[in-house]
Amino acid sequence: MKVNLHPKEGLLFNAFMLAFIINSVQVGVGLAGLPRVVYLEAKHDAWISVFLAGIIVSVVLVFMIQMLKQYDSADLYGIHVDIFGKWAGHSLNVLYMIYMTSTFFIILMNYVEIVQVWIFPTLPTWQLSLVLILLVIYAVYGGIRVVVGVAFFSVVGTIWLAVVIFVPLQFGDFTHLFPIMNANVKQLLMGAHSTTLSMLGFEIIMFVYPFVKEKQKAMFFVQMGNLVTTLIFTFATLISIVFFASNSLEKTIWPVLSMFKIVRLPNLERFEFIAVSFWMLIILPNMCFYLWAASKGFSRILRRKQKWGVWIIAIAAFAGSFFIKTRYQMNTMTDLVAKLGFYFAFCYPVLLAMIVFVKKWYKRRESKHAETS
Amino acid sequence: MQKRRKWQNLVIGITSFFLLTSCGVETKQLERLGLITAIGFDLKKENQIKGTVAVSKFDPMAKVMTNVISADANTLQTLRAEENLATDQRLEMGQLRCVIYSEELAEKGIIQLVNALNRDPTVGNMVYLTIAEKDAFSIISMEEKKIKVNIGTYLYNLIRQNVERELLISPTLHEFNHKFFDYGQDPVLPILKVKKDKVAISGVALFNDDKMVATLNNDKLFYLKLITDEYRTGSKELEFNRDEFSKIINVQGGQSYGEIYNKLFISIDNLRSNTKIHLINKKNLTFKVEVKMDSRLLETTNYLDLGKPANMKFIEKKINKEMESQIKKLLLFFQEKQVDPVGIGNEYMAHVRGKPISQKKWKELYKNAKFDVQVKNTLTKTGTMD
Repeated sequence: MKVNLHPKEGLLFNAFMLAFIINSVQVGVGLAGLPRVVYLEAKHDAWISVFLAGIIVSVVLVFMIQMLKQYDSADLYGIHVDIFGKWAGHSLNVLYMIYMTSTFFIILMNYVEIVQVWIFPTLPTWQLSLVLILLVIYAVYGGIRVVVGVAFFSVVGTIWLAVVIFVPLQFGDFTHLFPIMNANVKQLLMGAHSTTLSMLGFEIIMFVYPFVKEKQKAMFFVQMGNLVTTLIFTFATLISIVFFASNSLEKTIWPVLSMFKIVRLPNLERFEFIAVSFWMLIILPNMCFYLWAASKGFSRILRRKQKWGVWIIAIAAFAGSFFIKTRYQMNTMTDLVAKLGFYFAFCYPVLLAMIVFVKKWYKRRESKHAETS
Repeated sequence: MQKRRKWQNLVIGITSFFLLTSCGVETKQLERLGLITAIGFDLKKENQIKGTVAVSKFDPMAKVMTNVISADANTLQTLRAEENLATDQRLEMGQLRCVIYSEELAEKGIIQLVNALNRDPTVGNMVYLTIAEKDAFSIISMEEKKIKVNIGTYLYNLIRQNVERELLISPTLHEFNHKFFDYGQDPVLPILKVKKDKVAISGVALFNDDKMVATLNNDKLFYLKLITDEYRTGSKELEFNRDEFSKIINVQGGQSYGEIYNKLFISIDNLRSNTKIHLINKKNLTFKVEVKMDSRLLETTNYLDLGKPANMKFIEKKINKEMESQIKKLLLFFQEKQVDPVGIGNEYMAHVRGKPISQKKWKELYKNAKFDVQVKNTLTKTGTMD
């Protein structure tokens, strides 16, 4: 297997699309419940935790991009093989594929659950998941450029929801925010840790990097995407803290959706129905990118067509959807994936980047020695 | 290859079409629905509530649009099931506008009934919660002919227009929840009263936790709203002893009027206010309530000489003093009843670092809190005359 991937000219996309990709993959089902999970850890300083998490993500992104820059045009699958050799590298690749498949599955299940709770209580899980999976397969069949297009439209089509989030402020009680910095450092870090599920998605950069046209600009746009995400998340958390009483925020499963209940349009009493429906547009790029990146592994490792991977993963996810029935099962699964995500997306890439730096530095020194001697 | 792609797309398209339209999602036809616009709860006997719903129909042939159904049950869900058995329509909560709890029930606690609404995603967050002075049944079952519209809509408009006129504190489900779940604040709900075939608001109920413990009449409500909220166009009538104003009462050409009363009433409007509550002494728990307002003097029962700046200052001072004493009285009343609709507790907790104190602890502290009230009213205009 080649380390570097050189896609055809026609498959490349502009670097500024990276901002949309990172933003759309990060904003997803996690956001709906984000304020609550962080609040449970950091109390009314939760918004500081979220902002802190955004900074951590941006640091991790620096490591990722620097690592990718060490290669000509490689993705994570290639880097693994380059660093760890064929067998160890491929096993790590398979692990990463399993991780991305389970994230794909969790996003799907969480969204189905939201729809079932908020709009159609009697809708069977398999119907909605089937329709969503087919839609995602259709997008992934179109190739990377279509998937990037989905991400672009997702951001453009739903960014107005970020404005609507400010409507509940009129019912806010700002005394909830004080005293600022009441939580200790440990609580703040625990809060930042619990944002994992929402912040996840930026690791996709390690897979789409070979398809970026102007690679030297990648860093800037990736950081821009993350900045927008961090701001949206921080404001959503801040407004939830102001809007809800502390006890009810701890009990509300999807505070962001519950806040939409306040919004009233002249001939539409219940805005949250619109919000939940639009949420599909928000999660669509998440699912597309995870399915695309995981299935890409099939073509990279097994040298089969990517189609195979798409169908295998889709059928696995669809089959899995029959096994989850209750709220607490969902919770355990989601927590598990969040934990996996913490290691796979936050810790591991940094570690890998270090190894890559050392290896490249060592090689450079060796070649210099060879020249001089 | 190209052909096969098309064929695949077609299959995906058709499957999605059938899945989305034919099965799974239950259909709700408007004509077959009975939309609940108001619910009333009464305490039937121990552990049993009586629920009454006003149902709005969409049948264009029917003359009476509202249907009142009543049933007994222990939880809201069974209540709805019981009520469903008594009608030919399927009852839906999506258009619920107003919920009424009887005073008797409110005194025992209503949070489990409110939580049932919270848990149900079909119920909006802007539903108004109210208290019935006697029983909720008699309000819901008011004859439609007399009030012309559906009772749910009537109550909704009654409350909304008074909230918009700033005569009432907004009693939405969300605000009730917010104040109930906040340790440092207690909810306030309006009390409805049947008055000659009409429903009117007679005051507000003050809650300690979810239990109603005291009431406040409409006159006092002004001061509560003044210190919890802000006024944009409020109005207020103030009562004074006439003797205190004797030096500025203008006797025009020996003509005098209003002499028969020994009271002097001043009414101000276009009132814009802004209130800040500060914790000025953590140890002694002293709060400073600072009210700033601008208003227009519109009506006096005696002819006052308003041309001189000194006289205006004098009236301002009198109004300030009167309001200060009223606010102070009100705060002490709240303290005595152990209710905190103002949110003094929130203010306190915003200044205390470390682990948040429990509600019980706060109520203990609240007993000994002291208040320092300062009102600064500026009479900006006096209408078309001076």
